[in-house]
Amino acid sequence: MGALTDKYCIVGVGETPHLRPSNRTTLSMACEAVRNAMADAGLKPSDIDGMTSYQAADSTTSGHVATALGLRLNYCLDILGGGSSTEALVAHAIGLIEAGYAKTIVCFRSMNGRSGRRMGGQIPGGPIPAVNAEGDNQFNMGWGWTTPAQRFGMSAMRYLRDTGCTTKAFAEIAVAHRYHASLNPKAIHRSPITIDDHQRSRWVVKPFRLLDCCQETDVAAAIIVTSRERAYDLRHPPVFIMGGYARTMTESPQWNYSRPVLHYVAGNYGWKRAFGMAGITHRDVDFISCYDAFTFTTLIQLEANGFCRAGEAGEFVKGGRLQIDHELPSNLSGGHLSEGYTHGVQMVIENVRQLRHRADDACPDWREGKHSYDRSAGCRQLRKAKICCGMAWGWENMGSCLVLRGMAA
Amino acid sequence: MAVTIDYSKLRILPDPDTREWWEAARQHRYLVRQCKRCGHKWFPPNIPACDKCTAMEISWFETAGKGVIHSYVVVVQPIVGAFVSSVPYVVAIIELDDCKEADGTVTRVAGVLTNAEAEVAIGLPCTVLFEETNDPKIVMPRWRISGEADDTWKFSE
Ligand SMILES: [Zn+2]
Repeated sequence: MGALTDKYCIVGVGETPHLRPSNRTTLSMACEAVRNAMADAGLKPSDIDGMTSYQAADSTTSGHVATALGLRLNYCLDILGGGSSTEALVAHAIGLIEAGYAKTIVCFRSMNGRSGRRMGGQIPGGPIPAVNAEGDNQFNMGWGWTTPAQRFGMSAMRYLRDTGCTTKAFAEIAVAHRYHASLNPKAIHRSPITIDDHQRSRWVVKPFRLLDCCQETDVAAAIIVTSRERAYDLRHPPVFIMGGYARTMTESPQWNYSRPVLHYVAGNYGWKRAFGMAGITHRDVDFISCYDAFTFTTLIQLEANGFCRAGEAGEFVKGGRLQIDHELPSNLSGGHLSEGYTHGVQMVIENVRQLRHRADDACPDWREGKHSYDRSAGCRQLRKAKICCGMAWGWENMGSCLVLRGMAA
Repeated sequence: MAVTIDYSKLRILPDPDTREWWEAARQHRYLVRQCKRCGHKWFPPNIPACDKCTAMEISWFETAGKGVIHSYVVVVQPIVGAFVSSVPYVVAIIELDDCKEADGTVTRVAGVLTNAEAEVAIGLPCTVLFEETNDPKIVMPRWRISGEADDTWKFSE
């Protein structure tokens, strides 16, 4: 085990319902999510002395949330961020606690991701009447290449060509994550789907169909990080941070079409650090989470983080391997594809609940960690949930990871 | 296939790093950035330093505007209003023939193809052309397939 392992824990998680629209402000939702996370941990406002958040110029700030909730912070910071920022804020929180800046830190993300400003620049109700293409956007929006689906589609198309993988592999991801959502009372989409349903769904941008794309929602989510010493006194068994990487970059940190392989991503550069810090191998991982903004992004994270070899993820996911009770369960809440879109925070939240053995499913006594493991009755708690690897990213060239373990591991 | 883009709904705003690029496009010249120190070339042109040697002494290289399709997407659901009447349209990444460097680096650019989806495949050669738009300040480079190739790959549904 590395120097980090077991020193810091996630002790509280909370969110608001996934809605579209929320008819609420990002401040109001953030306050509820943070309050839920404090209640989950059994912490009072006076116990929290640090707060961080990330946003894409679309949200409230730590200062506003702290004021509304009566928190008196020793440290607060809001950063610009995206899909790889949750893990970065957890790393940041560890450093702040280690250095004595704060003792217990809340990290949150609040976004009206459906009814407010949507990824790619559009506003509610369809296309924008007029838009400015400035800065970087001159050279993508100028020719109608704006959204994450359009951007990742370019990598995905080349991936299909280079590997011989087909969109049937995309469908495996959609089906697995939807099945997990069917066991999650909070998920937006809970009806199970088949490979055929995926293959019949309408095109958004080829090679992506509707069922390849995440479910943008209005939501806020929060997690609380503190030291091991404090963690043992709180409500739930602590979840230990074993290792990770944050916003690791490839040879081209930002947008660059000239990367040698268009679908070679940041995880390739980060996973050995994360696993080294954690002192684990892939065989130790009981379940994973992937930033499934698109089905394809799950495939490529499996390869980048060493769960299978480059070009082999399409074969790897066949036969339901990523489904609960199979070899490598992925995104047990349903993920961005089916639960809703919290810009990555929900994966950490679900992993924490699974590692506590307290998945908030249909089992009546889940708060005490009593599960039936009966999937037909709506239980989504993994029997063996000791170590998980959560993988996330923003764009191809910026990724992150968090290896967590529960008390039993 | 004509791609009709309504630039009254999409205002392109050149800046000090990109004004020369858009001006060159108005003169039907296709530029990429080039490092004065090491000769490396790159795109998009708003990146103000060489990502090989970090020099900020940079210039332009005028390409012949010929290349090979490296990847593409077919936009079916429009997002930006200016493109609503153009779907489905193809956006491609193109490897420029005259921007191959000794270490294997190839400058790639992106743009809309004038060809319809049915004609497009990875590996096909294409050539730039310049189209007037309804914004008098903006001439938009487009790409059209300009030949055949042996090793091509096409997305099949
Ligand atoms: Zn240089």
